[in-house]
Amino acid sequence: MSAPATQPSEQAFRRRLRWRHGKSKLFASLTITATLVGLATLAALLVNVFTNARLLIAMNATAEAGFAFSLRSLERGHDLFPYIRISQVTEGSSAEQLGVRSGDALIRMGFHAVAKISDAWATVEQIPEGPTPIGWVAGAERLLGDLRAEIDPETSRVTAVLLDYLTPGSAAERAGLQVNDILRKADDFPIQGTRQAWEAIVIAAQQKPTPSSVILEIQRGEQILHIALEAEQQAQIPLNRSFWHTLWFFITEYESPRFAELSGLRSAILGSFYVIGLMALFSVPLGVGAAIYLEEYARRTWLTGLIQVLISNLAGVPSVIYGIIGLEIFARAFALERGVLAGALTMALLILPVVIIASREALRAIPDSIRQAAYAVGATRWQVVRHHVLPYAAPGIFTGVVLSLSRAIGEAAPLILLGAFQYVAFDPKGLKDPFTVLPIQIFTWVGMPQEGRANIAAAAILVLLVILLLMNALAIFLRIKFQKRW
Amino acid sequence: MPREIIQEASSLQAPRGRYLKERLIRGIFFACAFFAIIITAYTIIIFAMGSAPFFESVSPFEFIFTIRWSPLIEPFSYGALPLIGGTLLTTGIALLVALPLGLLGAVYLSEYASPNVRRALKPIMELLAGIPSVVFGYFALLYVTPLLRNIFPDIQFWNALSAGLVLGIAILPLVSSLSEDIIYAVPRSVREASYALGATRFETVRRVVLPAAFSGITAAFILGMSRAIGETMIVAIAAGMTPVWPPEPLRPVMTLTAYIVNVATGDAEAGAFIWSTIFAVGALLFMMTLILNTISYFIVQRFREQYE
Repeated sequence: MSAPATQPSEQAFRRRLRWRHGKSKLFASLTITATLVGLATLAALLVNVFTNARLLIAMNATAEAGFAFSLRSLERGHDLFPYIRISQVTEGSSAEQLGVRSGDALIRMGFHAVAKISDAWATVEQIPEGPTPIGWVAGAERLLGDLRAEIDPETSRVTAVLLDYLTPGSAAERAGLQVNDILRKADDFPIQGTRQAWEAIVIAAQQKPTPSSVILEIQRGEQILHIALEAEQQAQIPLNRSFWHTLWFFITEYESPRFAELSGLRSAILGSFYVIGLMALFSVPLGVGAAIYLEEYARRTWLTGLIQVLISNLAGVPSVIYGIIGLEIFARAFALERGVLAGALTMALLILPVVIIASREALRAIPDSIRQAAYAVGATRWQVVRHHVLPYAAPGIFTGVVLSLSRAIGEAAPLILLGAFQYVAFDPKGLKDPFTVLPIQIFTWVGMPQEGRANIAAAAILVLLVILLLMNALAIFLRIKFQKRW
Repeated sequence: MPREIIQEASSLQAPRGRYLKERLIRGIFFACAFFAIIITAYTIIIFAMGSAPFFESVSPFEFIFTIRWSPLIEPFSYGALPLIGGTLLTTGIALLVALPLGLLGAVYLSEYASPNVRRALKPIMELLAGIPSVVFGYFALLYVTPLLRNIFPDIQFWNALSAGLVLGIAILPLVSSLSEDIIYAVPRSVREASYALGATRFETVRRVVLPAAFSGITAAFILGMSRAIGETMIVAIAAGMTPVWPPEPLRPVMTLTAYIVNVATGDAEAGAFIWSTIFAVGALLFMMTLILNTISYFIVQRFREQYE
């Protein structure tokens, strides 16, 4: 006797049950994984921003010591040998007192040879604070003197690089070089041009594991000589890493178009506050007013229905579109040019639907019984709104307003069209003054290829995120402080 | 006797000034609302007028269906298909990330997470939704692209893939928060009925809860899609500025929004023909998002009436 075919055996049934539960568990872990992946990505973002921004402290330490670097490199065939050029030395800084001048090359930081600016900063970050040994090579004129190239007129190629003038007291003079010596090689680096001669010496010195002389191969008359040139100079320079000092410098300095380490957020922060402040003046009263009309006064007709569709659609229009509109209406038609006021009005347009929606939701949350009670004791509509609805709705409205302001602070796209994408090194005062804002400053920096720009972009992102976090905290605080129960 | 009553009543009447004030205040609020609407109408007029010169010299058909976009370099050509393709490619990649992650995350939050976890994660999600898009652009260009280079060695510095992936992460909080609201709103009784029939959790979610929330989830996804299409900074930073057809994930592309930024950050003179291309591209973008938003809006409106 066997069981009917339609009736599964108990074993099969249990197997099926296990399978179903297994599937259920698998799905559960899948949902958790998805959530964790989302959170992990965002954690990676934050960690990346933090680590990149941290280098700013080291950058600030070298800037404080008086340096501003730019990256150069020597080409030899297909190889590139990078070196750090000291492009600017602050007057009265400890670097200047040591005798470092702009045009010198930094080749050693701590006891490590450094070839890239980021290497130098990374070293500063790791070594202990205080007096730090550095090694540098003086600029071509102070190291050698003037060089002259002899050029074959037919092929227009350099045939020889001659020492035309020897700077008195220079390392070259001490090494015994003479005028009219032909420079042929610095260690293994052949010298093929006047500027390149100095670069070859820099790279040769930089490649030495410890500070030592560079061997120059020169031709004097018919003789080939090898002369040891003490190209590298050494001294100790105080490098102090201070978080607060870095922060203060970063938020109070203007942007420097040439040097990442000397750049600050001053004009961006001021611009953001000007634009957002002005924007709030327009959009908050208008938005809350419109919300009160739509919620408390307007009868429900097809017109209010249409308005509702319009407003929620407006909130979904891409922000860059508002830039085009703002450009056309405010900058052109109202002749406000691409200034603070035009930017603020454009942002007001963008944020208006958000304020209206948030305020309407806050108003809608007030139970009708409160309104009816007020009407019952003879209050007019305005009295109901003023004394009953608004006080209850205030926390909700505040929250909505603060959150929409914080959205506006992070918004970059519309303002790019209104001219905020530019170099501003002054405080905007008038309403037509050019300006820039935080997110656009970040956009500018992210797009720059120089070393250090990514780091200051990360630091600017941190500043922006902290401002947003503070505004969110303010929203929560307002909600708690003004919260009433009914 | 009646006379006294009438007198009483008239003294009860409020002073006339009070009604005037009421009307005035009503008028002010009406003006606010009216102004907000006027602006909308004005917007559409501006687009129509601004893109008119463009469509006088370029037919809409040529604009949408030809594949060479070269508004700055001669010979000029105004086929926006590379821009549309770039937009759809980044948006598509973004949706491939945001749809599964967003939906599974939403299911976890509303169906599996303990109330405490849910209470903790909800505000975090709202906070994440507020992260400015330049931050994501930075992340795409300087973190995700180098990471992807380990997998695809020939990926370019600017590419659609990393911009699209990060775009997906950027719209994730929106998609998953909206879907979660909708899934959570499915009444408990519906779930319990399913459990009572012996269904497992997965079966309940798949056969009962998700179908019930389907329209709302669709609306959330459409909204996320519209957000991805209109998103500007991420693609402007990380996807590049090269209008190519056909767009490829590992190479730079140019989206509609990136084109607008590109012209705005360039040196194009105001009033030149190049500005009318911005209007045309903007109008196209506006139409695409408007259609999606309206669909989403009506789905939500219809859905709302189901349980109330």
